[in-house]
Amino acid sequence: MIRLTPARLFAVLGGMTVVLVVIVLSALATGPAPLSLAEVFGALVLGEGSDATRDIVLGVRLPRVALGLLVGAALATAGAVFQALLRNPLADPYVLGVSGGAALAGIAVLALGSVVALPTQSVPLAAFVGGIVATGLLYWVSGGRGGSGPTGLLLTGVVFNAVASAGIVFLASVAGFFEGSRIFLWLIGQLSAVEIDAAGLVAASVALGLTVACVLARSLNLLALGDESASELGVPVDSHRRALLLATSLMVGGAVSVSGLIGFVGLIVPHALRLVIGSDHRLLVPATAITGAGFLVLSDTLARSLIEGRELPVGAVTALLGGPLFILLLRRSQSRSRLP
Amino acid sequence: MIAAMSLGLSSIHRLSRLGFVPFTALVVLFAAVSGAAGLPRLVSLNPSLTAIVERLGAAEALVGVDDYSAQITPALADRPRVGGLFDPSLEAVMALRPDRVLLVAGLEQESHAKALRQLGLEVEVFENERYEQVLANIERIGRLVGREGPAAERIGAIRALRAAVERATHGRPQPRTVIVLDRSPLYLVGAETFLDELLRAVGAVNLGAEVARGYPRGSLEWLVAAGPELVLDLSPQAELAAEAERDEAASASAGALAFWARWPSLPAVKTRRVLALDATRVSLPGPDLDRALRELAVAVHGAGIEAAIERELARREAP
Amino acid sequence: MKRAAQPAEVLGETLRFEAVAASRGGRPLLHGIDFEVRPGEIVGLAGRNGAGKTTLLQLANGLLAPTAGRVLLGDTPVRDLGRRAVARRIALVPQDLHVPFPFRVGELVLMGRAPHQPLVGLDGEQDVARTISALARLGIEDLADRSVETLSGGERQLVLFARALVQDPGLLLLDEPTAFLDLKHRLEVLREVRRFAASGRSALVVSHDLTLAARACDRLVLIGEGEVVAVGPPEQVLTPANLKRAFAIDAQVAPGPDGRLVVLPMLGPGESESS
Repeated sequence: MIRLTPARLFAVLGGMTVVLVVIVLSALATGPAPLSLAEVFGALVLGEGSDATRDIVLGVRLPRVALGLLVGAALATAGAVFQALLRNPLADPYVLGVSGGAALAGIAVLALGSVVALPTQSVPLAAFVGGIVATGLLYWVSGGRGGSGPTGLLLTGVVFNAVASAGIVFLASVAGFFEGSRIFLWLIGQLSAVEIDAAGLVAASVALGLTVACVLARSLNLLALGDESASELGVPVDSHRRALLLATSLMVGGAVSVSGLIGFVGLIVPHALRLVIGSDHRLLVPATAITGAGFLVLSDTLARSLIEGRELPVGAVTALLGGPLFILLLRRSQSRSRLP
Repeated sequence: MIAAMSLGLSSIHRLSRLGFVPFTALVVLFAAVSGAAGLPRLVSLNPSLTAIVERLGAAEALVGVDDYSAQITPALADRPRVGGLFDPSLEAVMALRPDRVLLVAGLEQESHAKALRQLGLEVEVFENERYEQVLANIERIGRLVGREGPAAERIGAIRALRAAVERATHGRPQPRTVIVLDRSPLYLVGAETFLDELLRAVGAVNLGAEVARGYPRGSLEWLVAAGPELVLDLSPQAELAAEAERDEAASASAGALAFWARWPSLPAVKTRRVLALDATRVSLPGPDLDRALRELAVAVHGAGIEAAIERELARREAP
Repeated sequence: MKRAAQPAEVLGETLRFEAVAASRGGRPLLHGIDFEVRPGEIVGLAGRNGAGKTTLLQLANGLLAPTAGRVLLGDTPVRDLGRRAVARRIALVPQDLHVPFPFRVGELVLMGRAPHQPLVGLDGEQDVARTISALARLGIEDLADRSVETLSGGERQLVLFARALVQDPGLLLLDEPTAFLDLKHRLEVLREVRRFAASGRSALVVSHDLTLAARACDRLVLIGEGEVVAVGPPEQVLTPANLKRAFAIDAQVAPGPDGRLVVLPMLGPGESESS
């Protein structure tokens, strides 16, 4: 019988970490300024190289990569948790409209910020609250168990997204010119080294969210079988689910507040991993975090190097990769649910 | 769904960035209102055109403006609004029964021009990307509102000041400069723009011209590698009240320096030559390019340059 | 009862329904339910569709609160025990389970150990050994590494039964445990349930197959019209009159070749059992 031994856990996570390090180094070595890996390494580890090289590696590329790691880990982990809690492999914070809710609240505060002075942390905090409210609404609509079936849930998400986008566009219209144009940026997510100001808060939210998801990973396994099964096997369903939803909303809010709406990371990563390493969340959750971090950094590196001299928003890249996959999954789940 | 929509929106955003600085479209003409006999009824859909009408003393002619015009020119805050720069309400424009609608080519406004013409309105389309285009706009609007004299005066003043600035800064060191329009995402002043021309006129090298023409989105990494000796930060983040007092300007510049100091290798940071400038005063392709030239000259060469400019102006007028 | 004479080791506790009433979706469904399941015995639960059999199982493991009366495990109301405490003492085998993720059979069965494991951690050697032996006893050890999504209904039922065994409870609740099974596996499951009870523990089994229930159970509880129609040994409960009350059918009950009861529902109307 195949089982999750400590050796397997460490081998898989260790292997993934090695790949992640390679991705990070490649990302640090990619950019308009031609820098060799050796120069990057020198600047990164030894503090060597010219001032400009150090600024480019440590001041431009590293903050952006760091933000990508945080946001990618948060979105992918949130996807895995939502999928288990809603028992729906198509769940994803973006598809479900949770990211949209976070963005709407964050933007409301951003727009408000043009009227009254607010501390910079208020945007991530508002995004966090928005994410929780959207998650709560989603649960309320789905009857608490994802009971409305895969498509019912997706419809709910579509409606949430439409409402959130409408709210965002509305706020952009009433806000001042510059706030307005900045708000539109939230709709297609992107990473920017400049947002590193809020990174501390975001890192804390991601760390907390990841910790909760890892600690409650066994409960996630049981919750994925349904509330009744989980309860029969001794899981305090309500409290564990509440903790997981709060932690997840926290991560999503933090990620959205610095990167806007980046879609499909939470869909692609856990799904692909389940095919490869199985569904046990004790392995899946940390593996998803590592892979999500690597996936987003890789996507962002692609986004800024695909067209020379142009930076695409990373949200466009993940949407272009994730959208078609999502359609395929939906098609598969539809044909499966038609079977008796 | 959202993704598709957002792609659309982000392109609007990009246009909007292009649009603000080289500001765009606008207004109209019109007919006489009480106390403004002889003036046409104008609706302006672009802040730079609005500013020209107002500067030529024909504010009474404006029976309606877009939201941004009203924001930039507080004197017009009481005028009927016809919507935003990119989404003006055609119906609101119609309702004002203007004689002319003024707007700037490019942006979404070309389609508005078409629609307004189909509705039977006279539309005046302007271009304002280049220095000479802006001067031409002043002259043309002067004719439209019957203020040819003030228009010629304005154009003369701008040309005279430019000549004086060019002579006053001749032979001085030419700092490698970037003008930052927005920090995140990074937008710069590129080649073939009036700001590029103004920057050259005051004796600076516009590094942004290497990136692209227009108002390109730049990468932070390019900026760090390019190593500007002077950073002029016009971004909204370096916000500066339109009528900034001197010490407010100084503190905005200190804030800008603190931001750019994250990349200490920037020569401009080492020499503390990072300045926050008010975007409306410097980057509006409106009637006050002479003021923009002065502010840029001071930014590039220091306050001492003002006396030199005055000397050159006087020398010109004396003979 | 016959086989339930005091075993050497008492692992189970008595499950007792005392004047229990319950509602479903706001509508009263059961009332005045009184019966008990004692250590060492297998009790069958029968009644027509919608009579409230599954509801009774949910009352038994505390997932549902009675609207009146008490459900006791030993001396404690089940609802007063924490979920984890209940899960260590009662295991439920549902009719079926939709698993939307490709968990492997081994993983699913191992989850039965959850109530005995700490919150965080991997599975111990003992947990794995129990899982392997449960799979082997049911003859499905070769399914261990298959994805649950690929199983047939019958295979899934065996897997869920294995999970309940691994849970190591004092009381097994089985909801139609053999509905999807072939004859051979039916017998295997029933043999395992008997073995389970023989160790001093107990089982409450919902079944539509009255003949099978008559063979496998020490006592039967017949539900009809929201209350208990009859409780007792199969030969006392399975009378044509009781069956008519519980199922609204005419049926004949006769001893089979081995002396145990066989229930024969009559097909047409008018072919009454009264002769």
